[in-house]
Amino acid sequence: MKVLVDSALCVGHGRCYVLGPEVFREDERGRCWIDSHQVPRELEDQARLGEANCPENAIRLETQ
Amino acid sequence: MTVENPNPETGEINLVDREFAAAPQPVYRRVLSRCPIARSSFGAGPVLSRYEDVIWALRHPEIFSSEMEVQMALGTERPMIPQQIDPPAQTRYRKILDPRFSRRRMAELIPQLRSQANALIDRFIDAGECEFDGAFAIPLPCTAFLSLMGLPQKDLDLFLELKNGIIRPQVDPGDVEGATRVRSTSGKRIYAYFEAVIDERAAQPRDDMIGYLLGAEIDGNKLSHTEILDICFLLLLAGLDTVTSTLGCNIAYLAANPEHRRRLVADPTLIPGAVEELLRWETPVTCVPRVIKQDLTLHDVAIKKGEVVTLLLGASNLDESEFVDPERIDFERKRNRHIAFGAGAHRCLGSHLARMELEVALEEWHRRIPEYRIKPGETPRYSPGIREVQYLPLVWNTQR
Ligand code: HEM
Ligand code: SF4
Repeated sequence: MKVLVDSALCVGHGRCYVLGPEVFREDERGRCWIDSHQVPRELEDQARLGEANCPENAIRLETQ
Repeated sequence: MTVENPNPETGEINLVDREFAAAPQPVYRRVLSRCPIARSSFGAGPVLSRYEDVIWALRHPEIFSSEMEVQMALGTERPMIPQQIDPPAQTRYRKILDPRFSRRRMAELIPQLRSQANALIDRFIDAGECEFDGAFAIPLPCTAFLSLMGLPQKDLDLFLELKNGIIRPQVDPGDVEGATRVRSTSGKRIYAYFEAVIDERAAQPRDDMIGYLLGAEIDGNKLSHTEILDICFLLLLAGLDTVTSTLGCNIAYLAANPEHRRRLVADPTLIPGAVEELLRWETPVTCVPRVIKQDLTLHDVAIKKGEVVTLLLGASNLDESEFVDPERIDFERKRNRHIAFGAGAHRCLGSHLARMELEVALEEWHRRIPEYRIKPGETPRYSPGIREVQYLPLVWNTQR
């Protein structure tokens, strides 16, 4: 699975890094960043939770 | 006979009566299914309720502006920063403010807040009853605010008095002039209070919120004292009643729904999910206003430049095109993109603080008082506008 975050849409609700802390990280301003687009299998649930709870629809998941 | 809300004949929705405040969900359900664009019975402006429309409006501040004409209404003398200004100016302020309100920073306040919550509970637990609003929901956010700002806890009563003077001036109902007078006096006192703190910090720098704002720069320019005042004023107005109301709505719900409450008591790890789900269901800040910058047509309705529209967040949070089974309360809801904190550029600056306060409060309350109910024969009373449960008498057993 691949995860993409549209930083133009992210406004820092923080749902992603609270619900999926090993996939999504919090920057200084409380916005989301990711250190890798590739999601290891064991973290796919976290990626899904982040996507499902972002009110800005800023997170995209791609399953290969 | 009372008229149904929204009125089926006129399409007018009444957002300011107590019945709506106490149980808005049936009104939302009707407005969602019948009128995507209703009219407010107060001012007649358009009311948007569907999730898709509301989130679109929130993301387009160039059409749905926050720069309202009536800034004086709440005792303020200038627009409140950043709530009443649009991007890009608003964005520059948020760049300074966001880091001070991040989740990480708010987590540092948890131990202090936990002990403050317990100190409040200590005062009434042995009595076996309390009026929740006055005893807990009002003072807790106020102590959190003082900690956040680095202000002395001894100013608690003064703060409560000043913010009440603005938000709920104690005058006879309908005495608009009196209310404006009380608001303007309280407004001046709030400005004066913060002005004194700003001068103090300017003379003797400290690493607290106001000290930080004094050092902060936008494009190389320091904030003026006036700008700092305007920010403080808004923080006071936005950070107290909102949390008070949410606490009241949550505890009233859990008192009336023991099966949900017992799940939280049995498994406190459900509390963060419960906070989100109850924010969705109760949406204590029912709506936000915007002023239209250009004529537009939406669902075949013409909306004119200059009109004030209401974005009904509470209805959006029950829209079945976004939420699976929106009428069901599910603390483990997998997908919950609720907008109780707004969305887009003006996303609540205090959302991380608010969530922290709500989680700590629900944890400590249920650890100490797991079984409680609304006092028999009594009915909670909700205020229109922000849904504060102004009267919430609770009782519990004191024998262990
Ligand atoms: C559960 C409690 C709270 C709720 C439901 C809530 C709700 C909201 C909503 C809906 C907005 C968007 C307003 C708009 O779009 O016009 C907002 C904005 C704001 N809130 Fe909150 N709020 C809460 C707590 C707090 C706290 C604790 C603080 C600060 C200490 C705070 C500070 C602000 C500020 C400064 C804004 C304006 C942000 C901007 O315009 O950029 N709020 N809040
Ligand atoms: S939930 Fe969405 S808006 Fe919030 S931080 Fe994550 S990506 Fe950004």
